[in-house]
Amino acid sequence: MIRRAALLSGILTLLLAGAASAQVAVHILSPSSDQPIFGPLDVKVGVQAREPIDRVEVFVNGKLMGFSKTPPYRVRIDVGDDNVRREFRAVAYTRSGATGADTLVTNPVQIMDELDLKLRALFVTVTRDGERTLNLDQGDFQIFDNGAPQEIVTFGRDELPLTAVLLLDTSESMREKELEAVRQGAKAFLDGMKPADEAMVALFSDRLLRLTPFTSDKATLASTLSGVKSAGGTAVNDFLYLSLKALEMRQGQRVVVLFSDGSDVHSVLPASDVLWKARAGQALIYWIQLGGKHKSFTSAWRDYTANDREYDELEQAVRESGGRILPIERVGELELAFRNILQELRQQYALGYYPNNSKGDGKWHKIDVRVKGAGRVRTREGYADY
Amino acid sequence: MRARTERNCFREPLLWLAAAIWLSAGQLVLAQAPPSPGPGKDTGTLGLTAGEKIPPERIQEIYRRILKDWSDGQTDRAPDELIELESAVVVEGDVGTRKTLLKAEQAVIHQVGAADIEVLVPIAVLHHEAYRRLLDGGWRGRATVMGHTRTMARDLAILYHEQSGSEGATLVSSRLLTSLGGMLLQSAQQLPAAELFQEAVELDGRNAAALLGLAMIYEKNAQPESAVKYLRRALEVDASNPEGKLRLALNLKRLKQLDESRRLLEELTAASDPSWVTPLAYQELARLDSDQDKADEAEKVLRRALERFPDDARLTIQLAAVLDRKGAGREATALVEKILSSPSSREASSSRYLYNAVRPEAFAEARTFLAENSRSRLAVLAQALSAQVEVSRTGVGR
Repeated sequence: MIRRAALLSGILTLLLAGAASAQVAVHILSPSSDQPIFGPLDVKVGVQAREPIDRVEVFVNGKLMGFSKTPPYRVRIDVGDDNVRREFRAVAYTRSGATGADTLVTNPVQIMDELDLKLRALFVTVTRDGERTLNLDQGDFQIFDNGAPQEIVTFGRDELPLTAVLLLDTSESMREKELEAVRQGAKAFLDGMKPADEAMVALFSDRLLRLTPFTSDKATLASTLSGVKSAGGTAVNDFLYLSLKALEMRQGQRVVVLFSDGSDVHSVLPASDVLWKARAGQALIYWIQLGGKHKSFTSAWRDYTANDREYDELEQAVRESGGRILPIERVGELELAFRNILQELRQQYALGYYPNNSKGDGKWHKIDVRVKGAGRVRTREGYADY
Repeated sequence: MRARTERNCFREPLLWLAAAIWLSAGQLVLAQAPPSPGPGKDTGTLGLTAGEKIPPERIQEIYRRILKDWSDGQTDRAPDELIELESAVVVEGDVGTRKTLLKAEQAVIHQVGAADIEVLVPIAVLHHEAYRRLLDGGWRGRATVMGHTRTMARDLAILYHEQSGSEGATLVSSRLLTSLGGMLLQSAQQLPAAELFQEAVELDGRNAAALLGLAMIYEKNAQPESAVKYLRRALEVDASNPEGKLRLALNLKRLKQLDESRRLLEELTAASDPSWVTPLAYQELARLDSDQDKADEAEKVLRRALERFPDDARLTIQLAAVLDRKGAGREATALVEKILSSPSSREASSSRYLYNAVRPEAFAEARTFLAENSRSRLAVLAQALSAQVEVSRTGVGR
């Protein structure tokens, strides 16, 4: 189940209150207990203490998996592929030997009739009269998967940590004025991140120019934006695919925020590969589109028709992911666009369900989410059932 | 068409020179930036001021002096001086000033050219070099000067070809037009570049660089039939040219001639001596397989490619995508993690970008050929200049 923010906040308050005696308050920030866990992941731990921390150790089912000595405390581990219950335990030690600990349990995927059920997470924006509606409960929603009603097993809003890739076009068409606006816009997004959120910043042209790892450290993320020089052409497809693939390995509410004029010239991957990845994955794609309407063009790689088709497919990938396109005419609008996206993500409802009609055959499943009463619903249009 | 019309004017070379400059300058004004606001205060080694009213006799004197510097081997200084002189005389948007410059330069060329037609080569190369420097320095506000000096280089090349009539002159002229075309292509002026390449090919049908340049323009403008025509001609001259082969393969693919396209790509990937296009050939061969739903074949091609180019980020991304679609998501993930954690694969230059751009190396051979031919004729130019009336250096403005 998704942990409620209020509950977390309560636990943290209790832990902090207890810190007066134990001196060390520990909280596992990630992973969350709402999803089965497999493969490599980062365990992120929040620690508060009145004296310096020596180290934070992470155990899974009693086995020491690793430790971290410097904040933000993060330990990269690989829990393997077994579909089992896992108990995560984080223990913090102060230099004087005082300790504090937190435990979190993740449950295996329930297997019935040899069907591997995969939780589908939907992030849903509901608007009424143009305003986002924020007071809905689980009972206000209905999910239909290929027309079949589904049981909503997780529900929440603004509770899952955000995992974002800021994918920023810094190709040679970006002049210093545009680059400065990109810096300001991305920084606004990063400033709005919560401690449990994490992001990766990727500056690209026809190649990756700069890249951070996924981190919650805003200073690290922001530093990669400074002093960047534009260079090269544009390869949106390749690096959007790379971003979606990187997000597959992460937890939480996953999103790519792409800033580009979208005129892909140099990718080796066609947009159909991005569309496929968007359909098969669970990440949202937001695309801040500079320059308004797409202008048809030709290059040594593709003619007008092929380029138009690429552009259309990229737009389709964004729509189907449940994200949206934010066209801007001037770079001055960029910061507001980044802020709007972050606010929208915070105001989305997170609905989870195990599809009762999944066959894993790669076929397209159309998703329909309905709310009681009037209201406009936007979410992922569907998914490829792999 | 234009070249033929102009060549008819070669009986009156100087008249033709003037007419050609008028024609080309008109096109340039349309193709390039709006004119600069007017006279400025920029001065160079000659001490001239932009927009300065310089009498025609003095323009001739300075031009002759610049030619002298060039013939004396002052290869750094002379092109800059020429830019300074032409920028000083020509006021953007004022056609009269351009005409004044043209007449003055014509007069000097007429005098020295009368002694020996071979002087046209180093003079043409001087204008060619000045044009290159103008391009490098940014053309904003200098469209007319650039158009003038480029057209001077072009027209002198054709004049030399027509007046000399030798096979060597044809080669020199064709290379000069090719090099100018390459510069235009690099600054994204495709139409005038195509005209120059066309003229170069008309002079020398075996000029592979010009044939390739023309093909690139047709390819970029979605005309694969014409691109294929010129690429085949380029490969007749230079059968082993890997770039020509790759471009031919990709244009044939556009024309749905997939068997020949595949054969060319396989030849490129089989070559033991890799070039910058070899990773691209692997990528496109794998794309051909993917497009035909042959994921296993695409995977094999990409694995072979990564054995040869293990740090190539593009090949790695492509293999990840192929594996992902095949259901081998974990290996795809490992490949993506490799890219995300490997600075070397991130910083690798993109050959896909180079394919769509103009590599300076593409026209390097033509430029080397020109430089050698110009150098060997500098003494002739020096001799022709010294035979002229001794010009006082007083008042040149040094």
